Amino acid sequence: MPPFPLQSDWAFVAGNLDLLLAGTGITIGLTAASILLGFLLGFPAGAVEVYSRGPLKRAVESAGVVLRGTPLLVIIILLFFGLSVSSSAFVTATIALGLRSAAYQSQIFRGALQSVDEGQLEAARAIGMGRLQAIRSVVVPQALRRSVPGFQNEFTIVLKDTSIAIVIGLGELLTVGQNLYQGGQSTAALEIFLTVSLIYFVLTFVTNRSLDYVDDHFSIPGGERA
Amino acid sequence: MGTPESTTSGRTLRARAAGLTDQPLTLLTVGVFWTWLVVRWTNDFLLDGALIERNTSFFPVGPFEAAAATLGALAASLGPVGFPVGWLAGFFEFLAASIPYLPQLATGVWATILLTVLGIALGFLIAVPLSVARVYGGSATRLLALGYTELFRGTPLLAQLFVLYFATPLTTIIRELPAVGTGFIPAQAFWVAVIAFMLNSAAYQSEYIRSALNSVPEGQLTAARAIGLSKVDGIRHVVLPQGLRYAIPGWSNELVYLIKYSSLASFITVRELFERTDAIASETYRYTELFVLAGLLYLALVISASLVMEYVEDRVAIPGLGTTSR
Amino acid sequence: MSDPLLELDDVYKSYGEEQVLSGVSFEMDAGDVDVVIGPSGSGKSTMLRCVNRLTEINGGDIYLDGDCITDADTDVNELRKQVGMVFQDFNLFAHLTALGNVTLGLRKVRDMDKATAQEQGYEHLEQVGLLDQADSYPAELSGGQKQRVGIARALAMDPKLLLFDEPTSALDPELVGEVVEVMRDLAAEGITMLVVSHEMGFARSAASDIIFLDDGQIVEHGPPEQLFENPQAARTGEFLSRLETAHEEE
Repeated sequence: MPPFPLQSDWAFVAGNLDLLLAGTGITIGLTAASILLGFLLGFPAGAVEVYSRGPLKRAVESAGVVLRGTPLLVIIILLFFGLSVSSSAFVTATIALGLRSAAYQSQIFRGALQSVDEGQLEAARAIGMGRLQAIRSVVVPQALRRSVPGFQNEFTIVLKDTSIAIVIGLGELLTVGQNLYQGGQSTAALEIFLTVSLIYFVLTFVTNRSLDYVDDHFSIPGGERA
Repeated sequence: MGTPESTTSGRTLRARAAGLTDQPLTLLTVGVFWTWLVVRWTNDFLLDGALIERNTSFFPVGPFEAAAATLGALAASLGPVGFPVGWLAGFFEFLAASIPYLPQLATGVWATILLTVLGIALGFLIAVPLSVARVYGGSATRLLALGYTELFRGTPLLAQLFVLYFATPLTTIIRELPAVGTGFIPAQAFWVAVIAFMLNSAAYQSEYIRSALNSVPEGQLTAARAIGLSKVDGIRHVVLPQGLRYAIPGWSNELVYLIKYSSLASFITVRELFERTDAIASETYRYTELFVLAGLLYLALVISASLVMEYVEDRVAIPGLGTTSR
Repeated sequence: MSDPLLELDDVYKSYGEEQVLSGVSFEMDAGDVDVVIGPSGSGKSTMLRCVNRLTEINGGDIYLDGDCITDADTDVNELRKQVGMVFQDFNLFAHLTALGNVTLGLRKVRDMDKATAQEQGYEHLEQVGLLDQADSYPAELSGGQKQRVGIARALAMDPKLLLFDEPTSALDPELVGEVVEVMRDLAAEGITMLVVSHEMGFARSAASDIIFLDDGQIVEHGPPEQLFENPQAARTGEFLSRLETAHEEE
């Protein structure tokens, strides 16, 4: 043991802060890319579950059940080592997190679409709008506002779960911490992982507060909060 | 007018899961799954391999390989139209390849279930006081409870596992305890994982319970006080019995989450389902088959959990309570 | 003689086993105000909803301005541009201001530019006395104000016919007056209205005809004086006297 383990361990962490911040950058990028992919797939999937019938609806629902019923760890490994969708760990992690997030986002949007009163659609049809147009200009704007709280939750879940990409060696925040511990200074475990946790905490905190702001900003005056 | 779906409530998500779990095929699959597990565990753990040797599968590989070969040949002879038959051949190949690994995976499933059940049950014991403190506590207790939940919900479970396993003396302490790692009692890493899941899931469970407690009308506690119950007794006998029922749907979600996240215990060497699968895969390089198989086993666990929770919810249901959570 | 504006010819509607409309026929001319009364479950609202095809009929025909609108090849969106509807529970678009509610159809259905649509929107809000609430959201309005916005929204499409589905029954009693007043103004302006309502004051003073519907059939159809003073069918008399007793009890 070095003479002043505590002091030198914190100094070790401080000295490697640039590495940790680079990992944080990858964590943020991975979160953003995954949420975006999840939205692009999840929003139409939610709409299909509400408004479509037949095989398409069943296919979307089954895919959702499988993706929501399987650990992310299994999905990532399967995509990387099994199906080898991409040689890039970042791309693979984005696809895994994005697909899984799409399955959850579809449920958020489905719930939000269904929570819009049936009378809204009827009133839109009554002034001569087609079904698609009525859904687009009356139901969807209300549903998107109502899905902000669920979306907030999903955002932080994805942010935290980017850490699971450690399993395929992606150099995100937790991986950097793990490398500093195993390849660097093993006495600094507590200092390293507490610092890593603190960074995650700051990220989720900032995300939550920003989305609170979005929620307030887009809420309808006098309207119920979803 | 309108479809019944338009009357959305908190139950919708569960009802949709029920749509899947109501299907006879699903029920049959879950039934077969659990029969296999129970027989396997009984043989391996209790009867010490009396029915069949440990690590030897119940099912012979031969017939499946033969079926795959026959179907494969048939598919080839059919040419381009043979692809559904070819697909079926692939399915049998998958089964034939999976069979030898099933016994080891069943042992992994046992650890996964144990981790999940212990984690959520112990977590529940912490979550109830935590949520009551959030709703009814004074400003200091309230802040303390809030800090706890925010901290554990704001950081990744994996990071929490790493802190407990690598950065605290917990491992050493547990290793010194009597009986740990002998016989039925798993080694220290397992208990570190249980502690992490307990602490983490307590934070999430307390959030579900808190919002459920908030949805119990205030008049309920007032009425309890009016008949002379103390505040604590009023919470215990009137608010909690209602609130915990409201919390079941959210709590079911937490159970499903924990089943899946228990796979993270593999990072600290716990020999649960994911770790077993990964160990076999890195020996055999059959990543696709093995992880598809692991995914199916997790899915079966998740669907089983949803079925059990639906049953529980029905059993404890009180007419007019919690059914209209809109 | 010109065609009637609206004609129902032997209209049938059932939901599975349950027969809701059994051979309903009547006509109304442009400028008429017909009020439909009848016990709950008698098919009044269903009949109204058949006219703009929010509900599809099983038998018979409906004509608007001489055109059969229940043909399979009728463009329902075209039809609905010509037939406005006011709902019992308002169904105002919750994410839009009062003005937004009135102009959405003008912009998205009539493809009007924003400025023109708003200009017309203000006019219609003025017509229902709500110019000062143009920027309020539905949740910020009283029930009576909501329903007046609902009327303005329907009026904005410049319909040939306005349908009112129990426009005052979701309102607190003290808010009914302002809505009835707006309806009376519209009637006076010569707007053709088919109204399901038990507002007897409005029926007596503004209606051209009263239609008494019971059990999916028209029991009696005639001017208000006839139905109220001298009902031909026994059932009409019974129903009206029960209505009056109910009102007195309030």
